Amino acid sequence: MIKQRSNWELIKNGIFGENTIFRMAISLCPSIAVTTGIRNAFYMGIAVIFVQVMVNVSVSAIRKIIHPRIRIPIFMLIIAGWVSVIDMTMAAFARPAYKEIGLYIQLIVAFASIFARAEVFASKNKMTSSAMDGLGMGIGFLVALVLIGFFRELLGKGALWGMPIIHSKPMLIMIMPTGGFFAVGFLMAFFNWIDIRFFGGKGASGV
Amino acid sequence: MTAKDMISIMFNLTVLYLIGGLILAGVYAKTSPIMYQNELKEKQEALKEVMPRADEMIKLGEWAPHHKHAEYFEGVKGAEKLGYVVQGFGKGYSSYINLFVAVDKDFVVRNVKILHHAETPGLGDEIMNESFTDQFKGKTLDHLVVVKRETDKDIQAITGATISSRAVTEGVREGVRMIMEKMSGEVKE
Repeated sequence: MIKQRSNWELIKNGIFGENTIFRMAISLCPSIAVTTGIRNAFYMGIAVIFVQVMVNVSVSAIRKIIHPRIRIPIFMLIIAGWVSVIDMTMAAFARPAYKEIGLYIQLIVAFASIFARAEVFASKNKMTSSAMDGLGMGIGFLVALVLIGFFRELLGKGALWGMPIIHSKPMLIMIMPTGGFFAVGFLMAFFNWIDIRFFGGKGASGV
Repeated sequence: MTAKDMISIMFNLTVLYLIGGLILAGVYAKTSPIMYQNELKEKQEALKEVMPRADEMIKLGEWAPHHKHAEYFEGVKGAEKLGYVVQGFGKGYSSYINLFVAVDKDFVVRNVKILHHAETPGLGDEIMNESFTDQFKGKTLDHLVVVKRETDKDIQAITGATISSRAVTEGVREGVRMIMEKMSGEVKE
């Protein structure tokens, strides 16, 4: 069993120690699909933070009353419910952003990261810890998406947040899914290098 | 599995689905009127945008490209008839592209505006750019075809988004053809 950690440690764990994309290497599909620009990545990250926190809190709240045999369908139900809530809310109140990433919002239902945190963490921990864990995981996901989006948009479109910056011909490949894998791979390698070089860790693949 | 387990599972599911359903119903009731208003407003704004000179858009009728509900309008300024605005659909890479095309009385395309699409972000969504949609201005039905090289006469495809470019062009072309067939009798007079 994991020892009790403080709220700050839980948040930090989500951003660095167990960063969804760079350390755990899950939910890579959305990390490729929505990171063609920083703006899309940012809005997606916000939606994921909301869903992750709400799912963790709900799962934690009912962890003692649900029958263990049906916990998976119940997690699915909770995730789908909260995703629908953010989907409808964004469609109503954040129309311009929704027009761009609405398609992917509904896909949050199938994100491995959210499901994994509900099963691994929230179903075994108190509500406050679960909320903090969700917040950390969500922020970690947002930071990762924005980082990937930064390189892809800069190199692939010569722009940042939709503003043109470089006026030479951009590398089209960075916008294609291929470029997404390049960006994720190089960033992952970079963070592994930092971990090994400065913190004496083993890197993400050493586990 | 004992009877106790079964009752517990049934109870769990019933209660959770009820709560989930209530939350969703609540959110839907709050947001759906706003969503509907947003869509209506966007459509009105788009109509104004494609034919800025018109003071009034008169709805002429409905048609069904790709079995979708679409409308067409006549733009008038005072007593003068300016032309038509047709809502069209084109089948793209991952969605149907919903658009408005404005034509003048001689059925020359004046403006194209994409209302809704769900094409690949970063590639297909370049169809929203004015550098693409401006190509349609001044084109007649014969020149509404996509080519993959530099051209002024026809429509030039976007690099990496040929299918989306074709879909927009198809939506525009079918819209223009439809309005020509419907209106040719009336306009010649």
